[in-house]
Amino acid sequence: MARTLSILVLDDNAENADSLAELLSLEEHKVQVVYSGQEAIDAYHATPFDLGFFDVMMPGKNGVDSFLEIRQVRPDAKVYFMTGYSADDLLKKAMEGGALGFFGKPMDLPLVLDVCQQAV
Amino acid sequence: MSIFGKTPASRISDIDALLQILDLVPTSIFVKDAELNFVFSNEAHCKIIGSEADKLLGLSDADFYPQDQAKRFMEADRSVLNSPEPKEFMELATSTDGSTVYSLTRKARVITSGGATYLVGTNTNVTGMKSYEAELEAKEARYRALAETVPVGIWHLHEDGNTAYVNPFLLALVSMTEAEFAETDPNDMLAISPDKGMADMIGTASRFETDLMSRGKVVARAMVVSSGWLDNAGVAGRSVMVTFVDVTKISDLQTVNDQVTRLNLELSENIMKLKATQEEMVKAGRMAQLGQLTATVAHELRNPLAAVRTSAFVLDRKIKGKGMGVEQQLQRIDSGVVRCDNIISQLLDFARTRPVQRKLLDLDNWLAKVVEEEAAKLPAVVSIECTLGLGGLVAAIDADRMSRCLINLISNASEVLVGKGDVRSGGAEFVPSIVIRSSRTGRGIEISVIDNGPGISAENLLRVKEPLFTTKSFGTGLGLPAVEKILEQHGGGLEIASKPGEGACFTAWFPIIETLEEAA
Repeated sequence: MARTLSILVLDDNAENADSLAELLSLEEHKVQVVYSGQEAIDAYHATPFDLGFFDVMMPGKNGVDSFLEIRQVRPDAKVYFMTGYSADDLLKKAMEGGALGFFGKPMDLPLVLDVCQQAV
Repeated sequence: MSIFGKTPASRISDIDALLQILDLVPTSIFVKDAELNFVFSNEAHCKIIGSEADKLLGLSDADFYPQDQAKRFMEADRSVLNSPEPKEFMELATSTDGSTVYSLTRKARVITSGGATYLVGTNTNVTGMKSYEAELEAKEARYRALAETVPVGIWHLHEDGNTAYVNPFLLALVSMTEAEFAETDPNDMLAISPDKGMADMIGTASRFETDLMSRGKVVARAMVVSSGWLDNAGVAGRSVMVTFVDVTKISDLQTVNDQVTRLNLELSENIMKLKATQEEMVKAGRMAQLGQLTATVAHELRNPLAAVRTSAFVLDRKIKGKGMGVEQQLQRIDSGVVRCDNIISQLLDFARTRPVQRKLLDLDNWLAKVVEEEAAKLPAVVSIECTLGLGGLVAAIDADRMSRCLINLISNASEVLVGKGDVRSGGAEFVPSIVIRSSRTGRGIEISVIDNGPGISAENLLRVKEPLFTTKSFGTGLGLPAVEKILEQHGGGLEIASKPGEGACFTAWFPIIETLEEAA
């Protein structure tokens, strides 16, 4: 393990968010968990995270819109999306807005760890 | 006959007998002298004139007939007396009792050997004939009036091509005068097939429909009725009576009727289409609902599934190297998650109603990549081979959905080959294999997934594409319906060929769409 990353995990599903955070923590990353889009925006205002894992479909502000708002403050914010099914239009919007990619849930975890490794 | 005896004495004695014979003759006979006074009248003549013979002698026509008649008769008599030739007259005579007879009168001058001049006349009563003639004339007038007024064309044509009669209706139909009509070649009147002459058409009693022509143009559709050749008694040659009924309007009516019939057919077809569309819409509505439901369920299930998988993964990391012997259990948890995820994918594939989103792709490259990815997931015992035959063909497809199609077909094949870990009877030499082939055919692209598994029974072959039908112990029965649906969304379909014991060949086909504009 080379460098510790600061990572934000955003998912309204707490079990999901927490288990992913736990995994990333095991890999020695510094992980913050939020459960809503607004919380994520606020968190980015405070901290320039190295990497983000955002859920797409959430009550209130969805993950993609939150990301686009964050990009206005942190234009270089690096975010991967996680989705339970292909919300094509939103994902397209996210990719056009500069997202790094997306994972289908349940996620391919070795691949998640790989992209973290690459971000280091 | 004794009265024509050879001796003069017998001849003289026969005069009375001769006079009696003349009285018996039905023809009226009279003799006048040069002054036109009667010197002889037989019984028939007495009847016409209305007087007895002895009262008539020495008197003239002026004493018996009306003055103008008598004058006409006597003028005629004088002309006969001045002529060496006998003459005939048609005379109307009114007798003293007022009855009128038409008589054909023949008169001749007779000069005796003694130099005396007489006028001999005979009358044939033609009153009956005259009235018959009048009747005929009246009849002819009536028939002519009929012929001139009926809304039917009438044409009386002689065999030599001359027109004996044409009625005004026919002239009006062909817009000709009688003279113009007479000059027209009868062969040009009707639209007749080239192998038949006019005579063939109307020479026999017949009834047919054809075009009526005038100056080379069709002027009407006519129902033609021909009498066939008629032998004209006493007149040389034959003739034919042809009538024409203008059926143009009836033909128009028929056309309108045909049109109405056609429209009715179209209408009933449209009603059927409408019904089908309604049913389709109801089905689409249900599918949209199902799609929405499935999407929600997918989202709701995948989140906890993700949590389970991540937790198992974390657990695995945490106990790694600690010799707790739970790796197998953790692996089972992950397999369960994968299986559940596959079911959700199938449900989504089947229920997805959004239009396909095509992108231009090199199809063989795309196919090779999908097969490679899937091959990595197959049990090692299964041999997989891919034959690409599209040679760099670029076409517009919805790559995500089409990949789901192939993944379904490949995983199906794999499951029938090594489903529960047992291998088909065939011994150790049996190698479960899947062959994937792409080719270009008349109907577009064909991608076949061929396995050497147990094959499908004829009974099951009929049902494998039905939703919810499955032969697996664990399956949704939505795999093949979803595959078929995706192919149908691409304008193609799925074909399955299989016999028990001989493997199965699943062929996905879809038309080539080479540009996105074409796809739109």
